[in-house]
Amino acid sequence: MRRLAAALALLALAPAAAAERDMPAGDVPAMREEAAEAGIAHAYRGPWEYFVGGGAAALDCNGDRMPDLFVAGGKAPARLYVNRGRAGGPLRFAETDTGLAARDLERVLGAYPLDIDSDGHPDLVLLRLGENLILRGGPDCRFTKANRRFAFDGGRAWTTAFAAAWEKDGAFPTLAFGNYVDRQAPGAPWGTCHDNALHRPAAGAAPDYGTALALAPGHCALSMLFTDWNRSGLPALRVTNDRHYYRGGEEQLWHVEPDRPPRLFTRADGWQRLTIWGMGIAEGDIDGDGYPEYALTSMGDTKLQRLDEEAEEDRPVYADIAYARGATAHRPYRGDDLKPSTGWHAEFADFNNDGLFDLFIAKGNVEKMEDFAAFDPDNLLIGQWDGGFAEAGDLAGIDRDTRGRGAVVDDFNRDGRLDLLVVNREAPVSLFRNMGAASADGPRQGGNFVAVELAQDGANRNAVGALVSLRWGARTLNRTVQVGGGHASGRLGFLHFGIGTAERATIRVKWPDGEWSAPYRVFANNFVHLARGAADVRYWYPPE
Amino acid sequence: MRAPAAALALALAAPAAAEPVAEPWAERVLLERVDPAAVAGRLDAAALAALRATGERLFVGRFTEADGVGRPFATQAIVPTARRRAPENAFFRSAGLDANACSGCHNQPATGGAGDFVANVFVSEGFESADFDSLDPQFSNERGTNHLFGAGLIELLAREMTAELHAVRRAALAEARAGGAPVTAALAAKGVGFGAVTAHPDGMLDLGAVEGVDDDLVIRPFSQKGVMTSLRQFTVNALNHHHGIQADERFGPRWTGTRDHDGDGVDDEIGAGEISALVAWQAGLAPPAVETPADAAWRAAARRGDALFDGLGCQACHRRALPLDSLEFADPGPLDMAGTLRAGETPHGAVYDLALMAWAERLPRDADGRILVPLFGDLKRHVIADRQVATLGNELLAQRFVERNVFMTAELWGVAETAPYGHRNDLTTLDAVIRAHGGAARAARDAYVAAAETDRRALIAFLRTLVIAP
Repeated sequence: MRRLAAALALLALAPAAAAERDMPAGDVPAMREEAAEAGIAHAYRGPWEYFVGGGAAALDCNGDRMPDLFVAGGKAPARLYVNRGRAGGPLRFAETDTGLAARDLERVLGAYPLDIDSDGHPDLVLLRLGENLILRGGPDCRFTKANRRFAFDGGRAWTTAFAAAWEKDGAFPTLAFGNYVDRQAPGAPWGTCHDNALHRPAAGAAPDYGTALALAPGHCALSMLFTDWNRSGLPALRVTNDRHYYRGGEEQLWHVEPDRPPRLFTRADGWQRLTIWGMGIAEGDIDGDGYPEYALTSMGDTKLQRLDEEAEEDRPVYADIAYARGATAHRPYRGDDLKPSTGWHAEFADFNNDGLFDLFIAKGNVEKMEDFAAFDPDNLLIGQWDGGFAEAGDLAGIDRDTRGRGAVVDDFNRDGRLDLLVVNREAPVSLFRNMGAASADGPRQGGNFVAVELAQDGANRNAVGALVSLRWGARTLNRTVQVGGGHASGRLGFLHFGIGTAERATIRVKWPDGEWSAPYRVFANNFVHLARGAADVRYWYPPE
Repeated sequence: MRAPAAALALALAAPAAAEPVAEPWAERVLLERVDPAAVAGRLDAAALAALRATGERLFVGRFTEADGVGRPFATQAIVPTARRRAPENAFFRSAGLDANACSGCHNQPATGGAGDFVANVFVSEGFESADFDSLDPQFSNERGTNHLFGAGLIELLAREMTAELHAVRRAALAEARAGGAPVTAALAAKGVGFGAVTAHPDGMLDLGAVEGVDDDLVIRPFSQKGVMTSLRQFTVNALNHHHGIQADERFGPRWTGTRDHDGDGVDDEIGAGEISALVAWQAGLAPPAVETPADAAWRAAARRGDALFDGLGCQACHRRALPLDSLEFADPGPLDMAGTLRAGETPHGAVYDLALMAWAERLPRDADGRILVPLFGDLKRHVIADRQVATLGNELLAQRFVERNVFMTAELWGVAETAPYGHRNDLTTLDAVIRAHGGAARAARDAYVAAAETDRRALIAFLRTLVIAP
């Protein structure tokens, strides 16, 4: 609580701080750290191989629509925490047994949830140092290893990235794995990046990932994401890569067309060479034009890419607008250390419900890299009405002396405000409860919100790949259901929309097969369940 | 010890810190700011009177450019919406600006009252086609001006009814979760039915059987459509729409990033304290009353009409009275959303105890001591037109998710003095508007039409006793 009070005091002193940087207009969320109180005492630890990774997954593993948490532990076992919280209350979690052997939960770098077999129980894909695992979800948060059942060869690579998408008419998702350094290769680690892999399901009634395609060359991927960058309905696979280890590498975008092998976008396609210490990808349509922008974390400048004027339908030409928008986040915003930052997980989300995307970036020195900032607090860049961003990490109270890696942004207590889990290297995780908008008089309510859960029958029941387009006033907010991106961290569940002062909104859904829904009318401050083909939405109310 | 109202008014009103004190003859209405801290808590009679005096001055004042009149770069929309180009004329009878003062329209038979046809407003969402120079109903819904007498009681009823509906919802969800089986619960508040909800064990709620209220089960008692939650919300809306005066609590930096969202060169046009004053004044307006005619024949006819009101079925929707538990009007209220000041957003919440108003003593009470608010309404929306009787279904645009032929039951208190009638204010007599009732009111309307001429005249005689008594 002291930290929250300190953040509020900072906010009160905002005019003095404004001399040094642009202060955010609008609300700053007051984030209260309460991991220990909430029942999560867990750290991501391990030697060199665990300098990267450190992810977490939010999923509903027991059917109560309260997000549960699976957190990687590195050398230590990963843990699963069931959400015991109540609507609007303090965050509460309880560790639970997954039903798996301890050795299967060790050497985990990250995790992504998705319902591969569409049985209504979310599954988990574990990124590991060594064999990757697919955990098949069952009732009451019990999981079983499904590598054999799904004919999935988890390999022996050092896996650091993952993305999934249902390709056209697919009964099961295509899985993409991004690998890091091939430690067995001569000369490792320099210039020895492992190939990445694409696992397409074979035709059949059950998932069969018996054959895999190499995504070569690999350039030490640290995040990947299927993204419909040109609104073609055909997601491409964007990969961000760590230049620290590759030689001749760059950022990548793969054509992933049905029944064809993946192929890279090339210079001839307009793809421009970009070499960064790519750590994480965030997608967000920050200007509401239907075309996503991307934040790419790195060492030093964060990139914020927007389609350039030279871009065409099949030419992914991007301009970096991070500097113009105040989103470079290139060095610590607090303290005397002026060395460059090291960015990891990135995520666009509306923490203050004003209807504008904010950008969270987990920060932290790799280990003891002296050319980079040692004290490197996480960023909370608050979206501004002029399209820019203004730093508020310290004002929000998330500027801790930790080495952040992966993260999950979700509404853990279903109060309509987004909370935050940050996985820290060699330190306990941080779990921040969003108390509301910081003010000198204490936290107060923020803007209105709508949370949307999609459902469809048959395959892909969570509608991964669907676009939810929400209209409030004269503005349109677009969110896509995605599995991938960030840094080794993913979530499955309600999509969150801040809608400012609007009391109502209209939602349309572009389902994964491209079919648009009729408009649905919803009232603000509700959790909305939208089933494909239903005449009306239903509202969901969290347990009180 | 009570300070005189005038002294209190001086104490609570202070010029904005950075502004010079306006000269008393300045051509503006917003001469000084009302400090919200000075009007916080439970106001005693003097403080409430002082605040209401300020509110009345703002209600009748003709705002000027110095106050912030004009919104060249903002539309009339309730959600702050910028526009690229300023309209050719700042004032424009259809799309607005269309008034200089609140009382420019709310003035029949007294300040705070209803408006003549000439005071109709043109309701448009203001997102696309914000500017329209046509009265064609494809661009806007033309509406008459409602009176505000008794508005505080109306809002209090709506708050209590909403709390009842939310309690039903909460109980149904808890029972379904505990029992593991769906629970269907009837929605009723103060004896008015609003359909039903079905709660499922997983927390899902089916809303298909909800009637006459929004899916969030919030009774929104204001506007002819019943789509505005509170006097505060409506005041903020109307100041922008009709005058281009933008309230900080919705159009200020918090929600727009700027102190001058409408681009008229005036920052921070109206603050939370002034809005509170306007709310307090409106909330404290006396409720209309039933007048006993001096004329003996009228008295007799009215007595007969009083009975016929029930016999013809009018009371099915025009409930004579609804019971109210408390006269404590909290401002901000409990149901507003972001953009209208909420209780948790300010340490300066106030309570206006309407029991302090002189008129409160004359309100009837039931056996349980509850105030019987004689509104002649049910605060519920109904379909009011059908294929044969379609006059009141003359709009083309739904408003805030409410279909074009659905309106909130008009409260009949004060109806004798608020002609003309109908939501477009284009029906000159009570007889005409009764005959225009279709849809859910069709049976009562048919009964009226089929009644004997003397009975119809008796009903009108009764309705003509429902007067505004400021």
